[in-house]
Amino acid sequence: MSDVIRVVDARSAANTGRGSLRTELIIKRTLQWSVLVTALVIVVFPLYWMLVTAFDPPSLSYTSQISLLPKRLTFSAMAQLLREYDFLLWMWNSATVAIISTLLAVVVGTLAAYSLARLRYPGRGFLAGVFFLAYIFPATLLVVPVFVILSVLGLTDDYIGLILSYLIFTVPFCTWMLRAYLTSIPPELEEAALVDGATRVQAMLLIILPLAAPGVAAATIFAFTLSWNEYLYAFILMTDSTKMTLSPGMTKLVFGDIFLWGMIMSGATLMSLPVVLLYFVAQRFVVSGLTAGSVKG
Amino acid sequence: MALRTASVPVPSRRRFRLPRDAMLGYLLLAPAILLLLVLVGYPFLTAVVMSLQKKLIGQAVAPFIGLDNYISLLMDRTFWVVVRNVLIFAGASVAIKLVIGTAVALALNESMPARGIIRSIMILPWALPTLVAVLIWMWMYSDVGGVFNSVLMGAGIVERPILFLSDPVLAMVSVIVVNIWRGFPFFTITLLAGLQTVGGDQYDAAKVDGANIVARFRHVTLPGLAPVMAVVTLLSTIFTLNDFAIVWLLTKGGPGNATDVLSTLTYKVAIRGLELGKGVAVSVLMLPLLIVLIVLLTRFINKREGAG
Repeated sequence: MSDVIRVVDARSAANTGRGSLRTELIIKRTLQWSVLVTALVIVVFPLYWMLVTAFDPPSLSYTSQISLLPKRLTFSAMAQLLREYDFLLWMWNSATVAIISTLLAVVVGTLAAYSLARLRYPGRGFLAGVFFLAYIFPATLLVVPVFVILSVLGLTDDYIGLILSYLIFTVPFCTWMLRAYLTSIPPELEEAALVDGATRVQAMLLIILPLAAPGVAAATIFAFTLSWNEYLYAFILMTDSTKMTLSPGMTKLVFGDIFLWGMIMSGATLMSLPVVLLYFVAQRFVVSGLTAGSVKG
Repeated sequence: MALRTASVPVPSRRRFRLPRDAMLGYLLLAPAILLLLVLVGYPFLTAVVMSLQKKLIGQAVAPFIGLDNYISLLMDRTFWVVVRNVLIFAGASVAIKLVIGTAVALALNESMPARGIIRSIMILPWALPTLVAVLIWMWMYSDVGGVFNSVLMGAGIVERPILFLSDPVLAMVSVIVVNIWRGFPFFTITLLAGLQTVGGDQYDAAKVDGANIVARFRHVTLPGLAPVMAVVTLLSTIFTLNDFAIVWLLTKGGPGNATDVLSTLTYKVAIRGLELGKGVAVSVLMLPLLIVLIVLLTRFINKREGAG
């Protein structure tokens, strides 16, 4: 602290006056906007290119002629994708698996998070640590044994198997994120209810859960996104084309003989749509939830 | 009178609340713990046991072979190439993500028009499925009609297409670039949140004293942000070390083993090569590094929780 002040004092001596302040503001704004513009171009261009390719597919003739602007707008690639592949079925499968595993994880995770955040009992800190460990536990290490176990049970190429393997990361994630959120709700509210004669369960359902709604919403969105976006388990567990979710299904498009990029980018656009919409609609929850969950956790 | 009747039940309930809270606590925790035991604990033990067996796909009997899987991996030059690869991949990715993520977070932390929209756009690569990010870049990298090669050749900068994914060194760079593109927003959002708690009085004091922008960053912002940076860096390192989709889809670990990481080697040995036991041993060998990272992470998080 005193170090900071001493250094600051030393610099201030050499650096006073209104001129330097104005120069500094200009430098700062220039820096700020050059960082932002560069980052925006880097972020947006690939997405733009995905859309351009999806709606104005390149001809398959091998030319190096390229136009950065789309010449026309056509749904032909998308139509071809839907005609030739079970894309809509994969999308439906992805939605089913993601929604069911999310709902299960949010319910189980909320109860566990309430317990870890609000109730006192021996072993609580240790158990909270177990959830965090499970959250960061590498899927690479679990996927092979999970594959072997599910094979024995006959649950590969089965939604139940995939949903169970998604619970591996959604349950610890929801628990960990909601624990942080619930800890930030002041205990006085609940204690007042208890003094007034409410039971613990009543206090939890009627006082705490309504207050935690934004956190629960954020956890739901994240759990859905994690499941919808998941690659490794889906890729290894689902090999039957009629049971596939989007991740293994789209992989089939890529590892075919010819790369039909118009079709692949149409698929990529359709796969991105639900999560992007969700993020824009629920941005408020997402940012506040992320703040509580991942860092303060 | 009224006071006395009110005060009597309170202590008695207090006395009872502890065991009752504990019971409810364990009860609410039970479903989640049960799931973790079945879905994480049991597979993990299975993994350890499998790594000590000669377990092949399609064979019922798996003889116990002790540490043979580990020994043959540790004697294998390929394994060490892969270890080097994963360290380069994760090290470079995380370092650059930290720098870009911090710069963008600092830029976004200032007041400006359309801040909300710009922030939403910056999050996009991270919200998208990894698969989508990889497919887009794969298409841009392509030597047949890919946008990078088309532009470079159109401008006469190169004569022949650059083989982004089949030159050993370039392939690693290309894979790292995709990881950075997808991963830097995670740093940006978490650091942006961290910045809300930094500064305040110290920042104002430094400003009044005339400390310039660099001095303020070095002596106020950076020390305040350091704990968040440590946590997000460690988390990202753990996730990057385990990345499968980016490497697998872009290069399948090739050319040769040039971009193979532990996750792709696990897949190749266990599923493609049918040697389940040995494949699992590959990822078990990641544990020592992982444990170090987790211990560091726990320490930082506890410090933050203690302070906050």
